[in-house]
Amino acid sequence: MFFLKEETKVISLHPSYFGPNVREYLINRLNEEEEGRCTGDHFVICVMDMVDIGEGRVLPSNGQAEYTIKYRAIIWKPFRGETVDAIVTSVKPTGIFTLAGPLSVFIARKNIPSDIKWEPNTVPPQYTDHADQVIEKGTSLRLKILGVKPDVAAINAIGTIKEDYLGPL
Amino acid sequence: MSRNMLENDFASDEEDDDFNPAPVEESDNEDAPRGQAGGRGRDNRAQDRGDDDDDEENGAGGDEAGGEDDEEPEDYEDEEDDEDDEDAVSGRPRKRRRKPGVHNFLETEAGVDEDEDEGDEEEEDMEFGAETHPDDADALPDGAEMDDRRHRQLDRQREHEASLDAEKQAQLLKERYGRNRAAAADAVVVPKRLLLPSVDDPSIWGVRCKAGKEREVVFAIQKRIEERPPGSRNPIKIISTFERGGAMSGYIYVEARRQADVMDALQDMSNVYPRTNMILVPVREMPDLLRVQKSEELNPGGWVRIRRTKYQGDLAQIEEVETNGLAVTVRLVPRLDYGLNEDSGAPIIDPKRKRAGANAAVSRPPQRLFSEAEAKKKHSKYLSATSGLGGKSWGYLGETYVEGFLIKDMKVQHLITKNVNPRLEEVTMFARDSENGTSNLDLASLAETLKNSTAEESYLPGDPVEVFKGEQQGLIGRTSSTRGDIVTILVTDGELAGQTIEAPVKTLRKRFREGDHVKVIGGSRYQDELGMVVQVKGDTVTLLSDMSMQEITVFSKDLRLSAETGVDGKLGMFDVHDLVQLDAATVACIVKVDRESLRVLDQNGSIRTILPTQVTSKIAPRRDAVATDRNGAEIRHGDTVKEVYGEQRNGIILHIHRSFLFLHNKAQAENSGIVVVRTTNVVTVSAKGGRSSGPDLTKMNPALMGNGAPGGAMAPPSRNFGRDRLIGKTVMVKKGPFKGLVGIVKDTTDIQARVELHTKNKIVTIPKELLVVKDPITGQTIDMHRGRGGPRIPQGSSAAPPSGWQGGRTPMASADSSRTPAWGGATSSRTPAWGGLGSRTPAWKADGSRTSNPYDGNRTAYGGAGSRTPAWNAGARTPYGGSSGSSDFDAFAAGSRTPAWGAANTGNRTPAWSAGASNSNKGYDAPTPGATYSAPTPGAYGGAPTPGLSAPTPGAWADSAPTPGAYNAPTPGGPSRRPYDAPSPADFDSRPYDAPTPAMGGIAATPGAGPYDGDDGGPRYEEGTPSP
Repeated sequence: MFFLKEETKVISLHPSYFGPNVREYLINRLNEEEEGRCTGDHFVICVMDMVDIGEGRVLPSNGQAEYTIKYRAIIWKPFRGETVDAIVTSVKPTGIFTLAGPLSVFIARKNIPSDIKWEPNTVPPQYTDHADQVIEKGTSLRLKILGVKPDVAAINAIGTIKEDYLGPL
Repeated sequence: MSRNMLENDFASDEEDDDFNPAPVEESDNEDAPRGQAGGRGRDNRAQDRGDDDDDEENGAGGDEAGGEDDEEPEDYEDEEDDEDDEDAVSGRPRKRRRKPGVHNFLETEAGVDEDEDEGDEEEEDMEFGAETHPDDADALPDGAEMDDRRHRQLDRQREHEASLDAEKQAQLLKERYGRNRAAAADAVVVPKRLLLPSVDDPSIWGVRCKAGKEREVVFAIQKRIEERPPGSRNPIKIISTFERGGAMSGYIYVEARRQADVMDALQDMSNVYPRTNMILVPVREMPDLLRVQKSEELNPGGWVRIRRTKYQGDLAQIEEVETNGLAVTVRLVPRLDYGLNEDSGAPIIDPKRKRAGANAAVSRPPQRLFSEAEAKKKHSKYLSATSGLGGKSWGYLGETYVEGFLIKDMKVQHLITKNVNPRLEEVTMFARDSENGTSNLDLASLAETLKNSTAEESYLPGDPVEVFKGEQQGLIGRTSSTRGDIVTILVTDGELAGQTIEAPVKTLRKRFREGDHVKVIGGSRYQDELGMVVQVKGDTVTLLSDMSMQEITVFSKDLRLSAETGVDGKLGMFDVHDLVQLDAATVACIVKVDRESLRVLDQNGSIRTILPTQVTSKIAPRRDAVATDRNGAEIRHGDTVKEVYGEQRNGIILHIHRSFLFLHNKAQAENSGIVVVRTTNVVTVSAKGGRSSGPDLTKMNPALMGNGAPGGAMAPPSRNFGRDRLIGKTVMVKKGPFKGLVGIVKDTTDIQARVELHTKNKIVTIPKELLVVKDPITGQTIDMHRGRGGPRIPQGSSAAPPSGWQGGRTPMASADSSRTPAWGGATSSRTPAWGGLGSRTPAWKADGSRTSNPYDGNRTAYGGAGSRTPAWNAGARTPYGGSSGSSDFDAFAAGSRTPAWGAANTGNRTPAWSAGASNSNKGYDAPTPGATYSAPTPGAYGGAPTPGLSAPTPGAWADSAPTPGAYNAPTPGGPSRRPYDAPSPADFDSRPYDAPTPAMGGIAATPGAGPYDGDDGGPRYEEGTPSP
């Protein structure tokens, strides 16, 4: 689910950047460091705007300046039960690896409908029900997130397509 | 004959009826009706019982029937000995009795007939006969009397027989042989307690015997009874004897009226010790002696474990239980190596020997289904195929294999039937997988059997549980406490929400939802595995392991919700994905941590299983390690890279170790997703945190770059001695107005060099970067790393390097490290030369190799002494020729440059050296520590070192370098012209830096060694920068 979240970040800047473009530089830095970041709980999708760039405070030890920036960002926090669209990144006998945006979702074989079978002999290998449903690398899938496992700087999820209206799009 | 058969029929008939009822009852009721058989009947019964008791674990009625089968005929044969000629055991005594010339044929007929009409009295008759017979036989001659008597008997019998009608005959028969049946019918009525022994009954004594020989003893007693039957002259007076097998090993039980009878019966019998204290079994306990323990019921399909052999501890499934319950046919997953590990030359070890057995158990092959293909490879001679109704089976090395399983007949004693606790993964091996991968294993029934072993501790307060059985079925809640096998549950769902109920463990199962993150807590080899639940089906939960991305199916009782993330599996200090040092040259990444061992993927890509003790050390992760990929782009920990060649594997960099990257690829199941690649074989796909697009901003800032950037190398020690090796080198200018011109470096600063151009005889100042070192003779470019790195090294990587070092540190580092051996080589190659020159001390050598001495050194004898590379020589020599005007130098220079040098050298120098050695300078020429340092006056040295130290300028070194001997030798006049050449002590006094004083040498060596090592060992450069 997407949220608009206000967060703060401290950026320290080398004195050589001090100048008329400090603000611009800070924005660049913020965008670069924050966008696409995963906290283990959510993904920062996009920095919307900066609410407040604090005053830079020069650190006594090294002369760098510290800016505390408040900004608003669109974040995405995947929830159990959420239905997302994902792209298959690889297909293995054990299941399907997909990418729903930044989130990697694994669909275990147990969570694939039993009529969709592993077909290793095709190129590329695929899961197929020998009808219109073919899941191979690059296929778009609609899946439901079954569980989310937060990690330090990543989120792993498992999903299922063993329900109505789920599966290849 | 026909009668005989009839009789046998009866016998078996009566057994069937008789022994089906419960054992205790039967044993007693047999006594009662068999009154006339009296003690003897019981005696035999008890013996039978004893036999049965041996196998009492499998016990049951069928067993007894089996036992009786053998023994029963003896009963009759003892009583009516005439008729039975089949029994071997009693054959001997009977034969003796019968010896007096009766034909077998007649005898049989007669016996049978007798039975019928004489009935009970016959027994006494026969016994009497039996008693008197031997004696009579001895006393009387083979005579007509005996025959006569028999004939008369027969006649009488026939008469009698004829007088009876068939019906009556049948009734007689029935009465005679059918008594047990009648008794059995009676027994139903007779209350059991009336059959219990009382004080009036004979006592039972427990007698010690050798453990394990119980049965033998019983048989020996039986034999003795046969030898000395009741009624004989010295009869055995015991009533029965039996043993109780495993339950009471070391004891046999003897039933008798008096203890003396027991003693008598057991006299002089081996393995039994009647003289030790005999236990009189209390009347009350007597029935217990005959009680058959209810044994573990073995049913086809059940699980057992093997007690011994190489299958020890293996799970086996019961295929078939033989009716006697003694032997079962089990199905096993074979452990075969198909002779692959067979050492044909090995001495044949007796398989019975313990050691061999132990070895087999230790190094037994893994459990694998039988494969005829593999068996054919090496052991085809042992392999035979048989196809029967049930499909094809294989005979291999005397065993039968069906559908890959070993089918083996085993005795129950060799099986563990209790506490089998089959683990799921063991059981799944027995599941005959169907095509779609689903097994036909009945997990539900297995779970049921396992339920009994559910330990209460598998439920902890807070576990989500579900009642799946009983009245409370369907309740969902959380455990709040456990007591014994009663669990208190706080109901969370449904109508009863909020209430607490109690439920026995057996009706509970843990409840998990798909997506739950769980940990396997026990009961299987997946212990401690973490994963996410992908499927819940009744009692079994399928989870996807975090580590291996494999699906694991376990029972829900073995799971617990886990809040842990990341690593599972720890073995002491080792975690999965740790980088460990195996030996000096090998590092490896742990891919799996088993309970006692580690599976690692080493840098060469091979998988090994090692013990934690084999790990030299754990390499602490260095997050800041940097390497370059194929395109020279910087790669760091956490970046995603992809292989350029081969399988084009990709993954996130987990470790960087020298030129190896350990990647983690989640989509790969094998090796926990770990891949090892070389840095030169990968390209960056994406860098961590979007760093990839362009270098770090902080790095683009020249201001930051200039001042040694944070995280950069520590400022190298400042240049404090020696001189730039570039000085004296022949160089070519790469760029600028002087491009292409060749010259000799005369002097350098940090970044610039003054070059004397060959063409213009003019000294120009040119930035060092624009110079390429050339070989003056061949004109070849000298290896940049070596050539450039070389000169810098003695400066302690001083001012010149910074830009180069800082900017491209990584490649330079590699250059550095690659240079190290070269230097070593150079030094060492020089060393013998020095050694050849002989008298130099280590201090000198070190000095020489480090300082600029060698370059100027061609002035000196040892300087030119040849172990130097042409480059050095060239660089060093040329300026000499050019710049030095003095004739003696010329001579030297010429000499040193030409091949004739050797001759010149030896010619000149040898005497010079010797001369030197002979005069007062000897100490300097041969500066062996002792001689040199001790010999000179303290005053001279005390004065000398100071300026030398403080001004270790190249000039100073150049000056100080020459050995007095060298200068002395060629031109005696030299010293006078050039004061520093003067070998006199006075000169040394005045020009201290001339003197290769120990102080100089010593001090110089020390700082020299410092920066030198620092550069070469290069921790600074190597650490952060694995060489490509």
